[in-house]
Amino acid sequence: MSAFSRRRFLTTAGTSALAAVFLKGCLGNPPEPGGQTGSTPVASPIALSPEMTPETTKIKLGYIPIVESAPLIVAFQKGFFAKYGMTEVEVSKQANWASARDNVVIGSGGGGIDGGQWQMPMPHLITEGIITSGNKVPMYVLAQLNTQGNGVAIAKMHAGKGLHLDITNAADYIKSFPSNSGRKFKAAHTFPNVNQDFWIRYWFAAGGVDPDNDIDLLAVPPAETVQGMRNGTMDAFSTGDPWPYRILSEDIGHMAALTAQIWPFHPEEYLAIRADWVDKNPKATKALLKGLMEAQKWCDDPNNRPELISIVSGRNFFNIPADILKPPFAGSYEMGDGQAAINDFKKGPLYWKDDIGSVSYPYKSHDLWFLVESIRWGFHPGYLKDIDSVQQIIDKVNREDLWREAATEAGFTADIPEGTSRGIETFFDGKTFDPNNPEAYLNSLTIKRI
Amino acid sequence: MTTTVKLNKNGTKNNPVLALWEKHKNDLIPPLVGVIGFLLLWEMTSHLPGMRLPGPSSLFTDERTRILLLYPFYDRGGLDKGLFWQTMASLGRVAQGYSLAAIVGISVGILVGTQPFLDKALDPIFQFLRMVAPLAWVPIALVALQQNHPAAIFVIFITSVWPILINTTEGVKQIPQDYINVQKVLQLSKTKFFFKILLPSALPYIFTGLRIGIGLAWLAIIAAEIVMSGIVGIGFFIWDAYQQNYISEIILAVIYIGAIGLILDRAIAYLQKLIAPGQ
Repeated sequence: MSAFSRRRFLTTAGTSALAAVFLKGCLGNPPEPGGQTGSTPVASPIALSPEMTPETTKIKLGYIPIVESAPLIVAFQKGFFAKYGMTEVEVSKQANWASARDNVVIGSGGGGIDGGQWQMPMPHLITEGIITSGNKVPMYVLAQLNTQGNGVAIAKMHAGKGLHLDITNAADYIKSFPSNSGRKFKAAHTFPNVNQDFWIRYWFAAGGVDPDNDIDLLAVPPAETVQGMRNGTMDAFSTGDPWPYRILSEDIGHMAALTAQIWPFHPEEYLAIRADWVDKNPKATKALLKGLMEAQKWCDDPNNRPELISIVSGRNFFNIPADILKPPFAGSYEMGDGQAAINDFKKGPLYWKDDIGSVSYPYKSHDLWFLVESIRWGFHPGYLKDIDSVQQIIDKVNREDLWREAATEAGFTADIPEGTSRGIETFFDGKTFDPNNPEAYLNSLTIKRI
Repeated sequence: MTTTVKLNKNGTKNNPVLALWEKHKNDLIPPLVGVIGFLLLWEMTSHLPGMRLPGPSSLFTDERTRILLLYPFYDRGGLDKGLFWQTMASLGRVAQGYSLAAIVGISVGILVGTQPFLDKALDPIFQFLRMVAPLAWVPIALVALQQNHPAAIFVIFITSVWPILINTTEGVKQIPQDYINVQKVLQLSKTKFFFKILLPSALPYIFTGLRIGIGLAWLAIIAAEIVMSGIVGIGFFIWDAYQQNYISEIILAVIYIGAIGLILDRAIAYLQKLIAPGQ
């Protein structure tokens, strides 16, 4: 018996000693990765007059870990939200777009979110209950988060077939896929009837390929799509940074087009918040907008990009190694398949201003394009009937007036656009969209569902 | 303390660790051979041309995964926490959903087992519902509850309740006729019958249900944490890694999930030994 207890004592002592060594080695945080860029100080709060003191300091904003959400994260991390009195902002990573949609319907009271980052026209569709099983949750579009930073990738097996920006000459190759390969050309985006769906549809249709009939186009998570491109079951992918860089660096395929080429300085993703929250907290909304605007300005300074990358790359936010984020944030894209590389800061994601106008300001003319394009493809029949009904939805959802007030209060008067329209938009294939005459745009298109 | 070396039965010198090994080697060698063989086979197949799955060595060779492996207790705030904390957060959610499932499963199981009419009425519904996958419950739970956290707990609950419920029902139905005759002969009170006959004889079935249930509850964690979004937890961690295609991180998280599953199962088995020894 005594031998047994001694043995037991020895093993216990031994294992606990081992465990202690192990714990000491592993407790605490790992060493910070080298080459950390020195961070600039966090913005300090300003004195708030009563008219500017927000009704609440709390809001929960959802985001998806992609370059579009950078200004929200920067505004949070660099203290820009807190500077204007929004000291308890919570930015919450969403599992995917469907989760974000469900969470905004629930609202922060039920553990969901009050608003956040959206592809277009999700706020309009949620307002009308179109993608929330009839559950109408009015939302306001308050600001645009960014422009560009997206593109169309093509699997490696299609190299040398001329699948570049203009696919007019490659259209037959895509259309003859069923007879040559026994299946349709297969393309993916991450969520139906929003941005990335529109970009790839526009690109296909401009080259004479009907995205509804000539190919299979479906929503697939990015990791699966990339896997499919590797093993030959997926041909094209409408995606956003930093996937283009990964696809090139891992030799999975090439970039056919950046959205910066398809439609330079196009509208991309937006900040939208539940209308009930904004109506209850107008001053807090403006405080939030001021913080966001300042973050967007900060993001557009090339000198701040290294710090921006070190903020967003951590596991708390994007969970993507900094090296992968550097090229897209510098506007540098390998295109592959014999195309010249692009190296232009203004072809990457921009957040505050571009060559045409404001990035942050939510132009009504851009909301209109997204909804007109929805009509073009016959999305949501019965809801989006005609241009008039679409205009009514926009007037209800777009709150550019709040953006203007916030920009004025924050002193960004020089960057406030004059009107609610950015004017005539021009696409790579020469087509134009005149916000005053959307019918003409629809008439000019050959491939459409109307 | 004196550390004289004891002589064992054969009279040879021996140290305690070796002695322990001698005693248990027949139990330890087969699983060790199995695990090491499996890892070797995996590592070798991962080097085959065209194989995309990283081998077990990637846990160490991949820098980001190595940090996770070596620092399970790190905490940089927010979602940036070591896997130990991620696992603990998930375990807390599983505990809530599973406790609820155990309470509801056992009590409804006893009720249904003692009432033949209820049994016949509800059995098809139970058999139907238990086939529904955890992920399919997510949208239903969200719409029904309109709350994030309860919906996640509900998903864990609904996944793990069926084996507990069905096994309890079966256990109650399997009470030997002799015992019921004894109750009639002795004219036992209802409470006495419940505690002295029904519960003890159904207990092995209940524990089988509880053991299957804890496994399922733990399986539902990924579905549950996708609902909640943006929280610390091993399920959301896997989802996040999947979105970015970090395979070796997923493998590491899977090892955590498997290990915790094993521990949970053994814990319930131990509990069974404590409560109902010899059954």
